[in-house]
Amino acid sequence: MQTPKVTRRTFLKVSATAGAAAAAAPKLLTAMEADLGGKDFGPVSGAERKAIPINCHVCNIQDGAIAFVENDRVVKLEGNPEHVSTRGRLCAKGNAGMWYSYDPDRILYPLKRVGARGEGKWKRITWDEALTELAGKLDAAIKEDPNTVFLKYGRNRTGGVIDRFMHTLGSDSILNHTSVCESSKKIGMEPTWGPDIETPDFANTKYVLNFGSNVLEASYFHNPLSQRVTEGRVDNHMKIVTFDVRLSNTAGFSDEWIPVYPATDGAVALAMGHVILRDELQDSDFIQTWTNVSVKELKDHYKQYTPEWAEKISGVPAATIERIAREFATTKPATLFTYRGPAKHMYGSYNEKACMMLPIMTGNVEKQGGYCLPRGMGWPQPQPQPPKPAKHAYMNNHRHPHYPLAGHGVGHLLPFHIHDGTVRINVYFTYQDNPVYTNPGARAVWGKLLKDEKLIPYFVSMSSHMGEETALADLILPDCPYLERWEPESMPNSLWPWLGIRQPVHKSLGESRENRVLMRDIIWKLDPDGKRGMKQFWNFKDGEDYMRHHFDNVPGLKEAGGLNYLKQHGVWPIYGKLNPATGKVSDKTGREIKAEYGLFKKELSAADMMGASVDGRGTIMKNGKAIGVKRNGRNYVGFPTGNRLINVRIDEWAKYGFNPMPTFKRIPWHETMKDDELVLTTFKLNVHKQSRTAAVKWLAEIAHSNPMWINTETAEKIGVKTGDLVRVESGVGYLVTKAYVTEGIHPKTVAIPTGFGHWEYGRLATLKLKGKKGDGSHGEEDPDLNNVWWDDKGVHPNDIIPAMADPIGGSQAWYDTAVKVTKAGPNDKYGDSHGDWDKHYAYFKEGMRYAYTGDMHRKMHPEMASWAGPDSVKHEEH
Amino acid sequence: MSEELRLSPIETRGVAGKKRYAMVVDTRRCIGCMACQVACKAEYDTPLGVNRTWVPYKVVGKYPNVKKHFLPRLCNHCDDPPCVRNCPVEATFKVEDGGFVLQRYERCIGCRSCMAACPYNARFMLPSHRTYTPITNVVDKCTFCFHRVTQNLVPACVQTCIGRSRVFGDLNDPNSEVSYLVARNATQVLRPEEGTKPYVFYIGADRNTTEFGRDAYLRPEVMELERSAFKNHFKI
Amino acid sequence: MGDYVWFHDVSWHATYAIYFFVIGILAGLSFLSYGSWRTPALRPLREKAAYGSLVMLAIGGILLIADLSQPLRFLYVFNPAYLNLSSPLAWGALNIVAFGVCSILYILALRKGDEAKGRLFATVTALLALGLPVYTGYDLTVHQSRPVWNTPIMPVLFVALAITSGSAVGSLLAGANVEAQKVLRQYMLWSAGAVAVILVSIMGTTNYGGSASELTFMIMTTGTMGILFVGVGFLAGSVAPAVMLYAPMGKSQSVLVISALLILAGSAALRYVILMAPQEVQTLY
Ligand SMILES: Nc1nc2c(c(=O)[nH]1)N[C@H]1C(S)=C(S)[C@@H](COP(=O)(O)OP(=O)(O)OC[C@H]3O[C@@H](n4cnc5c(=O)[nH]c(N)nc54)[C@H](O)[C@@H]3O)O[C@H]1N2
Ligand SMILES: Nc1nc2c(c(=O)[nH]1)N[C@H]1C(S)=C(S)[C@@H](COP(=O)(O)OP(=O)(O)OC[C@H]3O[C@@H](n4cnc5c(=O)[nH]c(N)nc54)[C@H](O)[C@@H]3O)O[C@H]1N2
Ligand code: SF4
Ligand code: SF4
Ligand code: SF4
Ligand code: SF4
Ligand code: SF4
Ligand SMILES: [Mo]
Repeated sequence: MQTPKVTRRTFLKVSATAGAAAAAAPKLLTAMEADLGGKDFGPVSGAERKAIPINCHVCNIQDGAIAFVENDRVVKLEGNPEHVSTRGRLCAKGNAGMWYSYDPDRILYPLKRVGARGEGKWKRITWDEALTELAGKLDAAIKEDPNTVFLKYGRNRTGGVIDRFMHTLGSDSILNHTSVCESSKKIGMEPTWGPDIETPDFANTKYVLNFGSNVLEASYFHNPLSQRVTEGRVDNHMKIVTFDVRLSNTAGFSDEWIPVYPATDGAVALAMGHVILRDELQDSDFIQTWTNVSVKELKDHYKQYTPEWAEKISGVPAATIERIAREFATTKPATLFTYRGPAKHMYGSYNEKACMMLPIMTGNVEKQGGYCLPRGMGWPQPQPQPPKPAKHAYMNNHRHPHYPLAGHGVGHLLPFHIHDGTVRINVYFTYQDNPVYTNPGARAVWGKLLKDEKLIPYFVSMSSHMGEETALADLILPDCPYLERWEPESMPNSLWPWLGIRQPVHKSLGESRENRVLMRDIIWKLDPDGKRGMKQFWNFKDGEDYMRHHFDNVPGLKEAGGLNYLKQHGVWPIYGKLNPATGKVSDKTGREIKAEYGLFKKELSAADMMGASVDGRGTIMKNGKAIGVKRNGRNYVGFPTGNRLINVRIDEWAKYGFNPMPTFKRIPWHETMKDDELVLTTFKLNVHKQSRTAAVKWLAEIAHSNPMWINTETAEKIGVKTGDLVRVESGVGYLVTKAYVTEGIHPKTVAIPTGFGHWEYGRLATLKLKGKKGDGSHGEEDPDLNNVWWDDKGVHPNDIIPAMADPIGGSQAWYDTAVKVTKAGPNDKYGDSHGDWDKHYAYFKEGMRYAYTGDMHRKMHPEMASWAGPDSVKHEEH
Repeated sequence: MSEELRLSPIETRGVAGKKRYAMVVDTRRCIGCMACQVACKAEYDTPLGVNRTWVPYKVVGKYPNVKKHFLPRLCNHCDDPPCVRNCPVEATFKVEDGGFVLQRYERCIGCRSCMAACPYNARFMLPSHRTYTPITNVVDKCTFCFHRVTQNLVPACVQTCIGRSRVFGDLNDPNSEVSYLVARNATQVLRPEEGTKPYVFYIGADRNTTEFGRDAYLRPEVMELERSAFKNHFKI
Repeated sequence: MGDYVWFHDVSWHATYAIYFFVIGILAGLSFLSYGSWRTPALRPLREKAAYGSLVMLAIGGILLIADLSQPLRFLYVFNPAYLNLSSPLAWGALNIVAFGVCSILYILALRKGDEAKGRLFATVTALLALGLPVYTGYDLTVHQSRPVWNTPIMPVLFVALAITSGSAVGSLLAGANVEAQKVLRQYMLWSAGAVAVILVSIMGTTNYGGSASELTFMIMTTGTMGILFVGVGFLAGSVAPAVMLYAPMGKSQSVLVISALLILAGSAALRYVILMAPQEVQTLY
């Protein structure tokens, strides 16, 4: 149709006949509320579109979704209304996800580099040529030392395929990106209560303390949690207080935004704890029963953290700390949330720990409206599985000799170790990882490393896009974007656990192959007849077949239909129906479904207790494993920690000379910062996802440049107005960008959002739309790109941010960089960005001094004077 | 006073027994996520440079007391739509049952009078390039998702609204949520002085965002750079 | 980023201002041709003005059609099934066609030397010509949401501008004809004065309006728009010619030519700014 085929007088007639679905009595006339989705019709064709349930993966929140297909093209994405967390909604990025598939610059064929590394000259080769060449290189490498085959991934939702692949090759050299992500948050939490994240029950709470999570724009779990934040705020009249160094959308939405001096959340949280314990507002019963410290111990420990002390450090007035602490402790239920704000600092793990103490000491744990444990589900792996590699790698996913507590690895230090010869590489794989853009040092560090053919003799990228890292590869294997893959999913993004899948919405475009098939093909090439014992682990027909191994035997799901059920619904279990009148999930009676709380208070059954013993502290042990805890004569499951309790005191930390109790360490160089120095922060905004959405046109249209936020007062001092060019200089380099003068940022901070200023990633991201298509771009052209109206792509900050690691959590200290900001000089050009390898290297060395093996460690921990030193701890192998 | 004048502006002027669709935008719930804007773009393959819905924001206050306000915008499906009055060929028209203000693309001559007439910038000229939809070079705007609503689905922007800030329904149905929201809350419409009788109602809309701000005098330059890029593109 | 607003394209671009300008001259010339039946001094201009106005009609028509994004559909305007009589554009289109037909009949009568018919068609053509600036003015005035456009005086201003620019072209066409120039001088003088007065009143009310109006005022009086509007349109294009023509030297041939040129430049600039400035504000809402 060219237009709605109606005249203003015949509308009713048309509504009754348009589309077969409305052939009966037009629902329009009787329905009270229209449905909240699940179906879609073409606005021009009027035809109903094919619906395929999938799982969003534009970012890592893993919302259940539906892809609507018309003419074999995904034209619309929508939240899956049967999904308990997503409830039918997707964020801006999720709504735009088809442009990962239809990016005109997508890589669709195996490519071999023909020019110099990074020169952009490619030759299309066949899969067979690619696999033969690669198998040759792998063979040689494995012969020498399997650990010289290295694989670094960023986002990995393969459900175990990567480990299977590397273990098949016998290599332990698997590294992730978690240290640039949120690892210090995880490390702050895991030893304390088990899981690496919390689920705040926003919808039912009355009070929220939010430390540096930008949940309404990013964070885990933006979409599902934002839904609950608005519900809590408007329907349940909760109060939300946000601590952030700048006015994020979350801060701007909160009842109170409290700007803190960067990296000092821990001090504020400790001082709040001080007020709560001083004024007897704690939940003594909870502390005594469920933690490994007594109320008295806690009170004694918190005496030192006065609000006046915290005010000096954080700039938050002592009176505010007192008031908020009392509000938080006396409003029930209350909850707390943090994300990367407190964690991404030199001592981020301490900050996280200090924050999570607040809901713990007030007993808000696992209550309706409180601070809940995450809820997830698992699935079995296809059998047989390859054995763990024989030899440990120097560093990997969960291990770094200088950062023994960093259970999620310290990936961002890799270039320096390769440079020093500590880590040796023959074949380097990259998968969904773009450190050349996303890691500290960016071009200056990772760019330099990956261009070095001596250090990285063979570089293979499994990628669908020409990211900054892939552009430097020797061989590119075209992976599929998420809409063309099979993948298992589960994420604790609401209070209800679920299993889900990703399934291809159409045949993979070009010659791209989904990751698990691609890896299988590599192994089959290496071991064509199974004689090397590799092929046995890769015995599956295709992605769907692999999924059957995961899902056809999960109890409960199996009865519902296993994978077939998931193919049809996308998610399991389905807890109820999306109610069009409330937007919430209702049970059969029409009432909103209720979550289960108090998970740690589940009691062990008699069968569980068979053969179990209880130790002196009440921990219930069975077969050498803690399975619960005895309290007041009852056998509870407790928390998933070594002793089934909340460990306020983490003895493991003390072993390495770290303070086992909640504490705070100031960033050493922040204490000595000069008047004209500021702290550089970076952040994410709602419509972009790390390095990968700059070529998604609808998102790029909304946000395509990233001027540096600077406070009005600070800007006045250096004579800068909005739009002026500024030079931002750190210890490792400088960049030139535009200023955005705003009231919404701490005067001692400047902030540059990430996700902009690409130098690769196709023509849209780099705004080279007039240019020729790259040798590696094979996607279909999009005529709409003629309508691009913006001419600014922004400036990326990572070249000038040095790599530093939290000595505990191993996490990159993203938000600590001291910079000098001045008005740009006559030779400064917009977009200049320069980082220096030698200076980066010096910072790496400086950072290592704070590791438990370094000389600064003791100086930073005078309270641990009795610690016997690094030699006292023989580093335990995993 | 005549019966007509005693009707409150939210009451339908349509015929009893007919539908009168409305959208309520509860700005207290809007988190500025832009999901609505992108969902609408996808639903209609709307080209770059033009939008059926958009979500501007304003940062207000002085450090450290600062807030951010969002104001989702779209066609108001006015009861007295000047765009319809102004179209020389009745290419834009009002559907009595439902209250949709719609376009006949094949009739539109592209004179842009309706664009000039709309006080809300809700209309735009479709460029000649689109990804896959053949309708180009005519005026377009939000249709209140006519094709979805007539299939008993809420509009695409409402469907995906993360904050559940957008609620859609029949104001003539006393049981609908929009009726409830409009009855129980103070609501605002945009530029009521234009007499257009909008059917997009706002709850808690901030004057900083609903009115032409005097701070437009300040001409924030970053925005100005963006704007000049936009103006260059459209040869304004 | 920066405080983000979605920007909007304007409805009518510069071609529309040129169209207004052409339509103004066309109407003005038509008045002169009609005037020649009543004021003998203008007699030498009768044919020239009639032809001139027809040429202008052709240019204007082409501009108008070309400005449509679906030029081939321009005939839809005359489809009675589509016609919407509440749209000034619909009336305008009918008016233009009627004018075109009448002016052709008029020219035919002139060529035949048929005095009675000539007089009749001159009157009808002039009346229809009057409709053109009225409708173009009205075309803006109906947009009650836009500052400046929404002043009811817009049609009057456009008629005044039609007289100034028509007389200016007439004056250029009249050459050394002293008698005709005497009359045209009066026309130009008083209409330019009237334009100046109308502009003052428009700007006055605009500056005292709400913030949208104030913003429009700012745009119209500063920057490039300011130079065009205040400098070229108001001072050089209306005040200066009015003063020069009023002064005794106003009778000199060269002052007449300069005034006519200034008036034409000014009335073009005025149309441009009056069309664009209120739209520029709107792009920010
Ligand atoms: N839209 C979008 N969503 C995403 C992602 C994305 O790229 N885009 N990525 C996903 C991923 S991988 C992650 S890890 C999460 C991250 O999600 P978040 O942690 O919520 O987001 P960030 O922008 O990394 O950092 C959060 C905030 O920390 C603030 N901050 C900086 N320093 C401090 C400080 O010292 N104290 C306090 N209190 N605040 C500080 C920043 O201003 C910023 O607003 O988001 C996930 N969701
Ligand atoms: N300055 C600054 N830097 C940051 C952050 C910040 O807040 N500020 N955030 C940090 C955080 S939280 C994180 S998690 C990291 C994330 O950083 P990374 O782990 O590097 O992840 P991404 O940027 O999401 O994408 C990596 C690459 O995957 C490739 N890719 C995209 N889609 C696909 C696909 O479908 N298949 C395959 N095989 N490859 C694909 C693209 O080449 C893309 O460049 O960035 C960190 N970097
Ligand atoms: S938050 Fe957005 S992008 Fe991330 S999974 Fe959910 S819908 Fe997709
Ligand atoms: S908002 Fe504008 S386009 Fe929509 S009905 Fe009203 S006047 Fe017409
Ligand atoms: S542009 Fe089209 S819809 Fe708008 S007034 Fe002209 S003909 Fe009517
Ligand atoms: S109602 Fe439909 S057309 Fe209108 S803004 Fe929402 S999604 Fe777009
Ligand atoms: S989707 Fe809803 S919450 Fe998000 S910007 Fe739009 S109206 Fe606001
Ligand atoms: Mo992350």
